[in-house]
Amino acid sequence: MNQFVLQHGRSAELRLFPHIMEVGIKKNGSIQLNTFLSTATEGLRMYCILEGRFEWRIGNQTYELLPGDSALILPDVSLGSENSVLDIGAFSWIHIAVQKQDSGGLQPGNWSGLADTEGAAIGNILSMSNRPVLTRFADAGKIIKCIYTELFGQEIGYQARVNHQLDELLIQVTRQMTRQHHSGRDFPKTFLHLEEILRRNLAHQWTVEEMAALVGLGTTLFNERVKSYSGFSPINYLINIRISEAIKLLKQPEISVTDIALDTGFYSSQHFSTTFRKLTGYKPSEFRKNHLRNQ
Amino acid sequence: MQCIITIELGTNGVRVFAFDLDGRVIGSMKGHHPTFHTEPDYSEQDPEQIFITTLYLLKNLLNEYIHPKKYKVASICFCASMHSVLAVDKNGSPLGNAITWADNRARKEAQELRASALGKSLYTATGTPIHPMSPLLKITWMRHHDQERFNLAAKFLSIKSYIIHQFTGEYKVDYSIASATGLMNIHAIGWEEDALKYAGITPDRLPDLAPIFTPAGRLKKAYQQSLNLPADTKILVGSSDGCMATLGDGVLGEGKATITIEDSGAVRVMGPRVLKDEQMRFFNYLLTENCYVSGGPTNNGGNIFEWFTRQFGDFANPYDIESSMQLLIEEAAKVPAGSDGLLFLPYLIGERAPIWNADARGAYFGLNIKHERQHFIRATIEGILYEMYSIGKILGEQRNIKSLSVNGTFGVLPFWTQMMADMFNRPVRTRQRSHSVSFGAFLLSATEMGIYKTLDEAAGTVELPDVFSPDKRHHAVYADYFGVFERLSTGLASEFEAISSLQRKHAGVQQGESIQAL
Repeated sequence: MNQFVLQHGRSAELRLFPHIMEVGIKKNGSIQLNTFLSTATEGLRMYCILEGRFEWRIGNQTYELLPGDSALILPDVSLGSENSVLDIGAFSWIHIAVQKQDSGGLQPGNWSGLADTEGAAIGNILSMSNRPVLTRFADAGKIIKCIYTELFGQEIGYQARVNHQLDELLIQVTRQMTRQHHSGRDFPKTFLHLEEILRRNLAHQWTVEEMAALVGLGTTLFNERVKSYSGFSPINYLINIRISEAIKLLKQPEISVTDIALDTGFYSSQHFSTTFRKLTGYKPSEFRKNHLRNQ
Repeated sequence: MQCIITIELGTNGVRVFAFDLDGRVIGSMKGHHPTFHTEPDYSEQDPEQIFITTLYLLKNLLNEYIHPKKYKVASICFCASMHSVLAVDKNGSPLGNAITWADNRARKEAQELRASALGKSLYTATGTPIHPMSPLLKITWMRHHDQERFNLAAKFLSIKSYIIHQFTGEYKVDYSIASATGLMNIHAIGWEEDALKYAGITPDRLPDLAPIFTPAGRLKKAYQQSLNLPADTKILVGSSDGCMATLGDGVLGEGKATITIEDSGAVRVMGPRVLKDEQMRFFNYLLTENCYVSGGPTNNGGNIFEWFTRQFGDFANPYDIESSMQLLIEEAAKVPAGSDGLLFLPYLIGERAPIWNADARGAYFGLNIKHERQHFIRATIEGILYEMYSIGKILGEQRNIKSLSVNGTFGVLPFWTQMMADMFNRPVRTRQRSHSVSFGAFLLSATEMGIYKTLDEAAGTVELPDVFSPDKRHHAVYADYFGVFERLSTGLASEFEAISSLQRKHAGVQQGESIQAL
């Protein structure tokens, strides 16, 4: 395939796919200066290296990319290179428009066949990722190839197939991203990694599916491993962390109980109060009063 | 019907057990809480999470096993890992996380003190080896490097003292935990003035010293209600995990020793006399006024075999390390004792007893062209256990060890227990289905209730039904190879120093998370 680029609003091939902002292949035969400018977009971008070797700056870190490697660029994250040099080689890419949620997570649009909760889970996992490069992940390139082949061929059923392939891309990228960092050998390490993410995003309404996907496991196996390792179900373990953090905050008199409830992931102060009391015997306000009385 | 509940605050989590008065387990639960390593040398835990985990487990244990059968809880007895430090402010609020035994930030302070005359006299007075694990050195570190926290700290607690304070509002520390702080004089039984002076603190900044049988005050009203326990439920300060593992195996008395192999390990004896050692290799912790638990700790126990399994085991199912370890052990059994002369030094995270060398590193030695994968597996297990034996051997210079028991997750694996028997050339007793630490805490509580007159009598009732007899031929082989093992462990000292300093120089330590418990 020769190089090409299809763009939203310009290319007739994308008329039925308003969520595809851009798709293309670039083949670069000689080093070009000032051509690869640093850009950031609102969409999600996926790049797959086909030939050559590239040194790219994603966000504020430099990565080396080789054939078979893929890079996932999140919305508003910049992609460029030192001195805007474009190295010799070839790559394909696709830009997809995504919806941003109030919580900061991403959600694919109505075109997606993913269930709302799964779509949100995938969006959250991708947006929390701080490792944009997926090494030896040529599948992404194959999926992009399938997408543009369908776009150019316009065979019967192509509209559905293109959207299926976009879902496939999101699913495979998510799975690869979590698996790449979890060898399946060291559960204590994996669990600690999960714990750190949970603590960083305690206000988020976590689902078991999301937690499982974060460490690259299906929910059945995830539930089993968490229970046997920690003694708690994933949700109960999460509640332990929430209450522990809440206790810390309750000991600081200047934060309101409602704020504590929301900061620690309870959806209301009522929900917080009930859960807190069930475990500790105190209402949060009583706990606070009691602690302050000890002073 | 009465029952006794024990709460073990361990390194990786909390275990609660309920026993009937005959010592039979009614029910048990465990809950994990994490250890954070924000810096390579740091090892910290969240005190509130430990408290919530404890509360949660206790509540579930009561609701599942105790209340439905109308048991009356006679007492709740605590035991915990040693050497933790948690600074709290004047309101009792934690100032940051608790620092665990595995924390190594006071490395420099420990080196200096260990080399000094004061170090030697403090070791003799307190029974705690001069090592970064010691609260004495952690508090000293805080005084020099974290002055704000040091100055704000109204008290320096152990994790257990903090948890008990949450339940009852009292600040108490039992003799066993206190004697592992490096701050207590184990002969005079009181805080050691010179140690406190070195750390820059006064006794009012420490919890109150209490014998292990002491009730720690009344359960707070809210917990009486939420746990559905009467106000007169006794909360006992209890002891340490090391002391309780020893008591729980019935090791009180002449000629008995016990080996614990969890992630790390220890060999311990118990009795009225301390172990004296010019080289400061042993600990002497206090169980009661006239009973010491003494021995040597190793960094490198089951965690080293887990490391090996993660690197070289076959994982049929993700994260199923138990099956992978089992498969490896089956393969190891195909190789003769002694691994045809392949030796393994297990010092992947430095070593405490007997060589007390934080710079020590691991090695396979004696490789020849005939060695296969299975030899590496067996040599790895043998190396971990030679290390246990080497502690037992120097203990044997002061005590005539006639009978041995083994406990801990890895210790009770039959292949390992047999190997211990062969190396020591002694019968080794064990109990497959129990948890020695919690059983020790049960014996403590039962003695407090008067079921046993003394701890001696309580220990005397312990039965360890599984006996592994030594194989003389294996013993002869191990005894031959152990000589080389022992010479390597000390003879390589200068190379250990060289390689570990190069590892630090080339940044492995800065980036890595594996080298924590040096």
